Amino acid sequence: MTKITWVLKDGSRISADVADGTNLMAAAASANVPGIIGECGGCLSCATCHVYVDEGSLAMTGTADGTEDAMLDATDAPRQDNSRLSCQLIAGPALEGLVLHVPA
Amino acid sequence: MSVWAAADDGYADLSNHDSFVAGPPHATFARLRREDPLAWCDYAGGKGFWSVTRHADILELNRDNQLLSSARGIRMEDQTYEEYLARRTFQETDPPDHTRVRTLVAKAFSKPVVALFEDRIRSLCDDILDQALPLGEFDAVKLIARQLPMRMLGQIIGTPDEDLDWLVEKGDALIANTDPEFTAHVLDKSDTDAYRLMPFRSPAGADLFDYAKRLMEDKRRKGDDSGVLSLITKPDSEGNVISEIEFRNFFCLLVAAGNDTTRYSIAAGLYALATRPELLAQLQSGNEAIWDTMADEVIRWASPTMYFRRTATRDFEMHGKTVREGDKVLLWFLSGNRDETVFEDPMNVNLMRTPNRHVAFGQGGAHVCLGMWLARLEVRLLFQELAKRLKRIEQAGPQAYLRSNFVGGIKSLPVRVELN
Repeated sequence: MTKITWVLKDGSRISADVADGTNLMAAAASANVPGIIGECGGCLSCATCHVYVDEGSLAMTGTADGTEDAMLDATDAPRQDNSRLSCQLIAGPALEGLVLHVPA
Repeated sequence: MSVWAAADDGYADLSNHDSFVAGPPHATFARLRREDPLAWCDYAGGKGFWSVTRHADILELNRDNQLLSSARGIRMEDQTYEEYLARRTFQETDPPDHTRVRTLVAKAFSKPVVALFEDRIRSLCDDILDQALPLGEFDAVKLIARQLPMRMLGQIIGTPDEDLDWLVEKGDALIANTDPEFTAHVLDKSDTDAYRLMPFRSPAGADLFDYAKRLMEDKRRKGDDSGVLSLITKPDSEGNVISEIEFRNFFCLLVAAGNDTTRYSIAAGLYALATRPELLAQLQSGNEAIWDTMADEVIRWASPTMYFRRTATRDFEMHGKTVREGDKVLLWFLSGNRDETVFEDPMNVNLMRTPNRHVAFGQGGAHVCLGMWLARLEVRLLFQELAKRLKRIEQAGPQAYLRSNFVGGIKSLPVRVELN
């Protein structure tokens, strides 16, 4: 299990213990985190699971590359250096305590 | 016949377009969801296929493009490999081929880019409604639903206005190639062998190919970079460009997909308003939140793309049955969107439905509709403008359905209106 925290736009927080191997778009849906939609089921076709990685967590996630990088140009909220598509973040020990900010 | 209730006896032949001319056979889908969620269907036009009808199964299978490929065709009709190669758009590819083209076009259809079109769409809605509504009694599909997507597509593509009617006609001939009202080359009724290498096995595809080529040459010559197509033909940050064949097929896809699906969504919404007066009252109640949810509900209820087909890449077991490698598997989005275990009172329209996890855009997989943000915006804006003007709308004659089990819906809807 990996503890993940989502910070909503209004500042409220949702935390969940996510089974290792689960992508964080699916985890957000299970935890009823609003604003993370995931229309394409994690296939890198829609950019609707966009999150900003908390500055303090950036070392854990690294930055987007390849297709994810290209798809980040199609997000609703503006892209930032700490933007990621959460379907590409997979729960596991390396992400323990990760904090993500939901853009909308 | 009405869209509010099933029109069939529960045992319709899903492979037959005629089973859909009185409205979709919802009783058959309901029975399959209940009794036989992975149903084998015989098909007079070729090899039989599996029908997947439950929401959860559609989501699960749609995501797995390793197991179920789009690269053998996406309609129930069989294709040879030669036909497939000549006719495929990126809809008919799998990752990573699909991903490469998808990322090239994704930004042009993203929510913020599409939102830039809001004022233009609203003004198109104004024009269309100003022409139609004063007539008092008219065909709402012909004069409203069919008009907006066509004119919007022109804006998106950057085509001259005078070409719009021609483009719509060709788009209709492509997609509605099983309804004699829209094509002289009805797919399952006439010999279409001469067109087998053309998109949608239709001569309209060849015309559109030529048109796309000329349009882009014209634009290049004039230095005109308006319209979404110019965005798409520019190299991306890594210097990738869309190939000429990809562009040509993409253009056909835009004309066909951008035109029909939104039309049938709008048509279903108009039918709902014309037969359930309380829905117009809800839109006019001043509750702004309804505009966040109404478009998705109208699109769920319409489900204009009734299925997409996949092909099994290996044997697999499901619901106690074995699907063999090479078998065709149809994901019936139309049925998933009426799944009683997901949607309360699924046959009815609830404009405030939340959450609304419909699969009308093929959600849950790599091929989720590229134009979904544009479709939602068009539906919302059209009904916003309509709600401002209408005092009453009622059905003035029977509606008719497109003869199609693939992409379809209400093709004509006589209405009578009273204005504010």
